[in-house]
Amino acid sequence: MNWQALDLSILGPAFIAGLLVLSTHVPLGRLVLKRGIIFIDLAVAQIAGIGVIAADQFGWDDSPWKVQIAAVSTAILGAMLLRWTEKRFGDIQEALIGVMFVLAATLSLLLLANNPHGGEHLKDLLVGQILWVSYEQLIPAAIIYAALIFSWFGLKVGARFPSAFYLVFAVAVTVSVQLVGVYLVFTSLIIPALVMRKLEGKRQLAYAFVLGAFAYALGLIASALFDLPSGAVIVWSLAVSGVFASIVFKKKLSLVNN
Amino acid sequence: MKLFKNIVLTSSLLFATSAFNNASANINVFTCEPEWQALAQELGGDKVTTFSATTGMQDPHHVQARPSLITKMRNADLLICSGADLEVGWLPVLLRRASNEKIAVNKPGYFFAANHVKLLGVPKVIDRSQGDVHAAGNPHVQTNPKNIAVIAKVLVKRMKTIDPSNAQYYQTQTDNFLKRWKQSVRKWKKQIRPFKGTRIIVQHASWDYLMDFGKFEQVATIEEKTGIPPTTGHLVDLVKEFKNNPADIIIHAGYQPNKASKWLSQRSNIPEITLPFTIGGTDQAKDLFSLYDNTFNLITATLKK
Repeated sequence: MNWQALDLSILGPAFIAGLLVLSTHVPLGRLVLKRGIIFIDLAVAQIAGIGVIAADQFGWDDSPWKVQIAAVSTAILGAMLLRWTEKRFGDIQEALIGVMFVLAATLSLLLLANNPHGGEHLKDLLVGQILWVSYEQLIPAAIIYAALIFSWFGLKVGARFPSAFYLVFAVAVTVSVQLVGVYLVFTSLIIPALVMRKLEGKRQLAYAFVLGAFAYALGLIASALFDLPSGAVIVWSLAVSGVFASIVFKKKLSLVNN
Repeated sequence: MKLFKNIVLTSSLLFATSAFNNASANINVFTCEPEWQALAQELGGDKVTTFSATTGMQDPHHVQARPSLITKMRNADLLICSGADLEVGWLPVLLRRASNEKIAVNKPGYFFAANHVKLLGVPKVIDRSQGDVHAAGNPHVQTNPKNIAVIAKVLVKRMKTIDPSNAQYYQTQTDNFLKRWKQSVRKWKKQIRPFKGTRIIVQHASWDYLMDFGKFEQVATIEEKTGIPPTTGHLVDLVKEFKNNPADIIIHAGYQPNKASKWLSQRSNIPEITLPFTIGGTDQAKDLFSLYDNTFNLITATLKK
């Protein structure tokens, strides 16, 4: 075991990144689960990737801001398309999201055939590594997340505009994949929401957030002690903690339903 | 109780070794690739502790983030990497996270091998349509054993600056290494001389320095654009091109999947071999000497057939 790596200055920024990602993904996860469109995050992340490749094609890769704007705008366009398909073909939305994911992923392969450098940016975007995150990087992410949370819970845009969910989702996912990578985004979105699915309201959100935070801490400590890639260990830690919580707190977690 | 005892014992042992390390002014060396770890070990002997972020079976372009990488880099007195943008995808972020003054840019502890040899494959025009071409030149300098000697001579100066109390020791180690190295280089030269002009197809453009050393001729690259899987059209062209005037061998590195090489080999009847590329790339490549022994043995054995 590697006790040396158990250092707050090493694991701290990664843990804060995890908490930030959970802050938006726990509430979003609940809605994703309710709508039965669990692969939407993968699709949106891939679509954002197309924006990054396009930015490269137009020679905008000189400034990170332009790349970010391209990623977010493409993700939003993709989200609008998904909102439209939901309205038009609501019953097959999940299947359409799956198709959209594959189309976006392969479109990026086709675009990259003539533009290899886009590949580096695409990789940066989809395979964010939680351990490399620094506090400075977390500041813009925290500001964007705060704005999203405020507009969702404060301004209640979800209730006012039906398409707001897709917009908020597109922005949140584009930011979080760059911090922690696609696998962790998917897990943070789905597992806490899944475990707490029978609870309601504020309690559901709070419990899901605590479960997520616990799993991130446990995963980071385990990855330090056993010297394993952090992102992958946290994914497993979330899954194991989720199963554990469902067994131990079985009664509590299904109380509201009865 | 037993666990607790073990923890106390291990931590006191750890403490004891670190105290010992300081007393003998050890240099903690963090290397990006195993060939530099081996070189640092040759020159530093028992006065250095070395670590490599990648193994011979990993692609040095990409590294998974592990907490220990940050700890190890934080404790390092000397950083040795290939440079020339090879590690650009992960080293800068890691350096930023470790924020270790001793190995900051332009400090004696910051050593890039590619900065000290003549780089090949420097693009005349930087044309971004050609794939992951490194603007600085080809970073895979270790495929020519002569470069190792050049780099060793500069590296030992850095070691002496970082740990002056053992300067004499490092110089003796280096002189000894260079003497043995010179003999080996002569032996390898002699071994491959009959195969001058051998026509080689490479999978990835990582062997420029080997071609230079052996006076081999690189006739084609399977990855037409570096770092991107070849298109069907390019593979078909290669099969046609070498039908009447076949190349002698197809080579690729141990850490790379050999699917494309195998495909071409089966259709063109050109033998395909896996070379170690670095230490640990094959079972036989255990240190710098056996790395090149193995490389040239594999090449000559295939060509003799």
